[in-house]
Amino acid sequence: MSTTAVIDVEHLNLQYGDFHAVRDLSFQVRRGELYALLGTNGAGKTSTLEIIEGHRDATSGTVRVFGESPRDRRAVRPRIGVMLQESGFSPDLTVRESVGLIGTLSGRTDVVERVLDVVGLTTRARTRVAQLSGGEKRRLDFATAVWGTPELVVLDEPTTGLDITSRDDLWASVDRLREHGSTVVLTTHYLEEAQQRADRIGLMHQGALIREGTVAELTATLPASIRFALPGTTTAGPVQVPVAATRQPDGRLLVETFDLQGDLLTLLTWARANDIELQQLDAGPTRLDDVFRAVSA
Amino acid sequence: MLSIASSELIQIFRNRLVLVTSLVMPVAVSAFFIYQHETFTQLGSLGYIAAIVMFTVLAFGLYTTAVTTLASRRQNLFLKRLRSTAASDAGILSGLLLPVTVIAAVQIVAILVVLAVVTTTPADIALLAAGLIATVVMMIGLALATAGVTNSPEHAQVTTLPISLGVIAVASWVGIAGTEELTLLKRLLPGGAATELVSNAWNGGVPLTESLLLLAPTLAWVVVAIALAARIFRWEPRR
Repeated sequence: MSTTAVIDVEHLNLQYGDFHAVRDLSFQVRRGELYALLGTNGAGKTSTLEIIEGHRDATSGTVRVFGESPRDRRAVRPRIGVMLQESGFSPDLTVRESVGLIGTLSGRTDVVERVLDVVGLTTRARTRVAQLSGGEKRRLDFATAVWGTPELVVLDEPTTGLDITSRDDLWASVDRLREHGSTVVLTTHYLEEAQQRADRIGLMHQGALIREGTVAELTATLPASIRFALPGTTTAGPVQVPVAATRQPDGRLLVETFDLQGDLLTLLTWARANDIELQQLDAGPTRLDDVFRAVSA
Repeated sequence: MLSIASSELIQIFRNRLVLVTSLVMPVAVSAFFIYQHETFTQLGSLGYIAAIVMFTVLAFGLYTTAVTTLASRRQNLFLKRLRSTAASDAGILSGLLLPVTVIAAVQIVAILVVLAVVTTTPADIALLAAGLIATVVMMIGLALATAGVTNSPEHAQVTTLPISLGVIAVASWVGIAGTEELTLLKRLLPGGAATELVSNAWNGGVPLTESLLLLAPTLAWVVVAIALAARIFRWEPRR
């Protein structure tokens, strides 16, 4: 992965009347990395992507894509594959015609049959878009984004509406794009996908970027958790355990720790020594959704 | 642009409603005017028939179809999809409107050829062509402007009525009553000067320079329509 910025966003603001969709947003996406922009509904992710794609003008701030303004379609678009949040295909055209049309207009070269094979739509090539299922339309959308293996691929909620097999296939295609050196920027509501795939993550809330970093950097800001119940101690009252614990509404005890392995060992050793069974035991590192909930609370 | 035009042509021929609106209906109305040409010649002139036929095709075959197409492509985000490619805005609009424009122009030429064969040939074919081209451009400009205030293909059935019926009404008024009275008003209304120009080109008897001046109001409407379209045309549905 290179440190060269493919996307450079500085102090970006987008306002609709009194509503601030994006507030003072700054971030960079480096060549070859997969950058995930996450946030709740209305956090400003799609607005940000649409400015990067050149579909929308910012109220203030600057966005450079490959060093150019994203509004310079002739210079930038042949290098970008875009998967919109909503399909935007003509219902009267077939799958083959749609891919061929958008591919031809992309400024990149590829073969319709190859791209349809990549997204698993070969058998639907002669089917009109109106007759496709929601998942098939998303795959068609993905097909136009990966046409000609673009240097930058922007995916707005790419796996929404896809079944598990199609999701796996899509991610396999993204992996192949990255092997060819493509940079990927995406938004998704499936946090586990971002956790598994993203090199870096930007967390947006109410239009602003409130956290940014690798999964490890983001999860390191919150303690890991150990949850368990002790037999006969489900009611309120002091609890004698060897690590600091608080009682949860469900009666279980919660240990929050930055030393998961050490505290878990202490707890298990104590339980064995005292012949106590730790019921409903659940221990794990901090997950991205814990960070997500913490910042959007 | 040609790949967009090609896909648009495919869509026109796959959509029966558009096919009927843009092809069958204008031809049927024009056929009626030619069949009854003696009656309409007594009412106005052969030039009037040429003008009313031209405006019928342009109002329904070109203008209404163009507005409906643009509203439909915007509503299903096809315009946004096209704008996510390297195609320019001008290229996208040209590609979308080229097929309906060519179909309308071919229809008009064919219908006028039939009219000339059935009756008499026009006095000045070059002037007739100039009038036709100016009117086509005016109707495209008006279609772009109207598409800016049209939210959906269904809405287009309402928003296109004032101009489509208006230009036909103006063409009938000018073609039948002439321009001896209320001359300025008739020439300034959309389609008024074009009707007089086409009538002059078919009937003859009017100096060329005088007829060419009639291009000015039509071209002025082109400027007005394009200026309006530039302000109000939208590429995406309202949020």
